[in-house]
Amino acid sequence: MIGLPIHIIRFVLFILAQGLIFGKLDFGFGIHPMIYPLFILMLPFDLSAIVLMIIAFLMGISVDFFMNTFGLHASASVIIAYFRPEIFKLFSPRDGYESFRQPSAGDLGYSWFLSVAGLMVLIHHLWFFFLEYFKLSDWFYILQKTLLSGLLTLLIFILIQIIFFKKQKAL
Amino acid sequence: MRNLIAFFQRFRVFLVFLVLQLIALGSFFSWMSYPRTKFFNTSSAVIGNMHSWSHEVTKYLTLSEANEELQRELIELREELPESFLSIDAKTALINDTLYKQAYRYIPATVINSSHQHKNNYFTIDAGRLKGISAKMGVVSSNGVVGIVYDVSDHFSVVKSILTENINFSAYIEGSKAFGIVKYLENDPRRISLTGISNDIAIKRGSLVKTRGSSGYFPQGLIIGKVDMLEPLEGKPLWDIQIRLSQDMRKVHHVFVIENILGEELERLQGKIKELN
Repeated sequence: MIGLPIHIIRFVLFILAQGLIFGKLDFGFGIHPMIYPLFILMLPFDLSAIVLMIIAFLMGISVDFFMNTFGLHASASVIIAYFRPEIFKLFSPRDGYESFRQPSAGDLGYSWFLSVAGLMVLIHHLWFFFLEYFKLSDWFYILQKTLLSGLLTLLIFILIQIIFFKKQKAL
Repeated sequence: MRNLIAFFQRFRVFLVFLVLQLIALGSFFSWMSYPRTKFFNTSSAVIGNMHSWSHEVTKYLTLSEANEELQRELIELREELPESFLSIDAKTALINDTLYKQAYRYIPATVINSSHQHKNNYFTIDAGRLKGISAKMGVVSSNGVVGIVYDVSDHFSVVKSILTENINFSAYIEGSKAFGIVKYLENDPRRISLTGISNDIAIKRGSLVKTRGSSGYFPQGLIIGKVDMLEPLEGKPLWDIQIRLSQDMRKVHHVFVIENILGEELERLQGKIKELN
């Protein structure tokens, strides 16, 4: 288990990284990577869905403050917090999650991480860009932005996992 | 009653989800109604300060570009000084500085946070109410129009970029004098659309598009861009005009906020039009 102070530090770091670095990078083609879903993914296993959604809402609102998006990030981040328990159940390992420290690639392996993160990023980005355009006639832009940004977001997720969340050696 | 409580217990996760979504979406979809969204933006002091720290670090990357721009503008202004004119005939010299009344004032500011990849884009500048900025002032760079001030705090302002769907200010095309309304419809940060020009008016590709000055945000004749693409709109007697912006919105650093000293007078006068009808 990981203590509360670590999660609070992560919360602040993810917001600052999103608001001051990733939100400002310019990749062209309307690509807009969003890394804060990783924080929601990596919250402890035993949090109830309601607590999860409230944390996600606070996260989204904080990112909204940085990006002048007026609630767009909050909505998208609440939606993945709502689906997280279902997605975790869908990809549950044979013995459940009890023996694992935290939902990270180091603990559960990359195939688990990629499927869960992939599905969450897809839902998040699709909802985000759908709300941003809010017109079905713009479906091409919505899909283009979702897929390109989603791939980049996943790549950044994997890099963060490789750099910061290596598998802890058993003592 | 017991049934009701049972209902809430059963669906409490979904109900919390619904409430949070309503708050978020309510704030997002009312972003156009100005006072309610005042809360959610970077002009609030803490975030504004963080953006200016981050700008302190990154501003050195664009220093040479900004210098060149300022130098070019300095040369342009220097060429207008009386010293750079040679009087041809001493008798016809005319001192006319009392014939003009200053109508616009320029307040310099630096962009500390910006976006251009969204459908509606905003940017933050490091000047606010204390420097005399208020909402609905025009913002220009040395290359052209960039936006309109949306909200101010004491030290920062949020500017609605020209890349916003309902930016809606009027502009005219030099040469034909036809005027229309500027909107951001395509998803290309290099181009904006000019709508409402009837397609019986001849328009040349490449002609300059300038501000009309009708709503008092900008003085008349500020450059916006050039006509880039011209096609008749399907099913309507209108042109579909794409303007290539003269200021690349992906690289805006130094801007000027325009204060219209006579703005109130203009507004009061134009407000009477409604009373006449």
